[in-house]
Amino acid sequence: MEALTLEQNDSGEELVRRCRTGDGAAWEEIVSTFSRRIFNLAYRFTSSVEAAEDLTQEVFVRIYNTLDQFDPKHGNLANWLMRLARNRIIDDYRHRQRNPQNSMADAVDDHTYHLRAVGTSAQKELERRELCVQVQEGIDKLPNDLKTCVILRDIEELSYREIVEILDIPEGTVKSRINRGRIELAKILRRMRVVEI
Amino acid sequence: MREHEQNKVTCDEFEEYLSDYIENALPSGLRAVLSEHAMVCPLCHSLLNDVKQAVQVCHELEAPDSQMAGLEAKILTATMPESAMDCDEFEEYLTDYLDGFLPAVLFHRWERHALLCDSCSNLPGAVVRSLAACYTFKVEELEIPAGLNAKILEATLGTSEASSLKAPTAARFAEWIRGLRFPVSAPQLAPVAMMLLMVFLVFLQSGNQSIGGIYQKGFELAGETYRKGADAVLGGGQEESGPRPTANQGNGGQ
Repeated sequence: MEALTLEQNDSGEELVRRCRTGDGAAWEEIVSTFSRRIFNLAYRFTSSVEAAEDLTQEVFVRIYNTLDQFDPKHGNLANWLMRLARNRIIDDYRHRQRNPQNSMADAVDDHTYHLRAVGTSAQKELERRELCVQVQEGIDKLPNDLKTCVILRDIEELSYREIVEILDIPEGTVKSRINRGRIELAKILRRMRVVEI
Repeated sequence: MREHEQNKVTCDEFEEYLSDYIENALPSGLRAVLSEHAMVCPLCHSLLNDVKQAVQVCHELEAPDSQMAGLEAKILTATMPESAMDCDEFEEYLTDYLDGFLPAVLFHRWERHALLCDSCSNLPGAVVRSLAACYTFKVEELEIPAGLNAKILEATLGTSEASSLKAPTAARFAEWIRGLRFPVSAPQLAPVAMMLLMVFLVFLQSGNQSIGGIYQKGFELAGETYRKGADAVLGGGQEESGPRPTANQGNGGQ
C-alpha cells in the first residue's frame, strides 16, 4: 500500500531526500516499487529476459547516480524515473538495432518465459498468457520505428506530446507511425490468427 | 350503392374499398359500414385478414439498411468517381476514424470505401481487436526474475541488506540545511542588501570606524552635498568668500 502511494500520489521528494543522506531503506523502497514496471518495459523492447534484467539493473544504477538531479518542481518521482528509464531503454534498443548480434538467439526460450511464469492452471489464465506471447511476437515483427511508437502509445499509454519529446521527431511523424504501426500489427496478428475476422 | 346509402355494402363494393379501408383513408361513415359488413360476411372478413397479413409481410421484406448503404455507396462511386478513396488513403485515416477525429466529408468517403473494398472492410475490426490484445498484454505484467532487486541493491549500495544502511548524522544535517527554504525570495532581498552596502561604505569613510563616527561622517557627507547644491544655484562665488560648513555647524553655518 505504501508502494502504491509512492507511485501514484507522493511526489517522492522525502524519499529522495532520505536516499541522498545514504538511507538504504529509502532506496530499497524505490527499487521495489519501480523494478517490475521498468523490467516489463525493457522486456517489451528486448524480448529477452536476460537482456531486460541487465538493462533494468543498468537503469537503476543510472538513477542512483543522478538522484541529485531530481527536482520535485518539475514533476513527481515516478514521472522523472520512468522518463529516465524510457530514454535509456530506447537508446539501448536503437543501439542494438544498429549492431545486431545474438538479438534473436534466445528469442524462442524467452517467449516461453511468459508461459513458465503462469501461477495458476486455469484455462483462461493460460489463454491470456498465450495471447501475451503472441502479441509480443507480433510487436517484434514490426519495423523498429513503428515498434517504438506502438509500445510508447498503446502499451505505455503516453500522449503524442510525450512521445515527441522522447523521440525528438515531429508530431505528424509520430501520429503517422502510430497509425501505420497499428495497422501493421493488426495484419501480423491476423496472419498469426490471434485476431480473427 | 343503394345498400351503402342504406348502411349496407355488397361484397364487390367491399373489395373495391378494401385498400382504402386498410390504409384508413375513408370517411368515417363509409368506414363504419365496411366494418359492419366485415363482421357479418365471413368471406369478406377472411379476405380483409389475408390482405392485412400480405401487406405486413411486404413491409417486412424491405431491403435491410446495410444493403441499401452498399447500394448507395455503389451509386455514389459510379456517379462521383472523384470522391472515391483508395486503400492507402483509407489506411492513412484509420486511427483518426477510430478516434472520431475525421471531418464529415472524409468520414463518408472513408465509410464508403470500407463498404465496397473487400480487402479493407475487415481491417478496422482487426485493428480494434489488436488494440484490445495490446491492452491485455499491457495489464499482464511479468513478475521480475528472482533476485533482481537484490542485484540492483548490490550494484548501487554494495549490499543487498539495504535496511542495514542508516544515514549518518552529518549527512542528514547537510541534507536538512539543503532543504531549508527562506520565506523571503531573492528579489525581495535586493533593496535590503543595497541599504546594507551603503551603510558599509559610509562605515569605511568614517574616521574612527565607530557607530558615532558613522553618524559624524553622515553629517559631513550631507553638508558636502548641500554645499555643492548651493554652489550650483548661486554660481559657485561663495566657495572663495564664505566658510565651508562643518558637520558640527551643519546648515546653521550658512
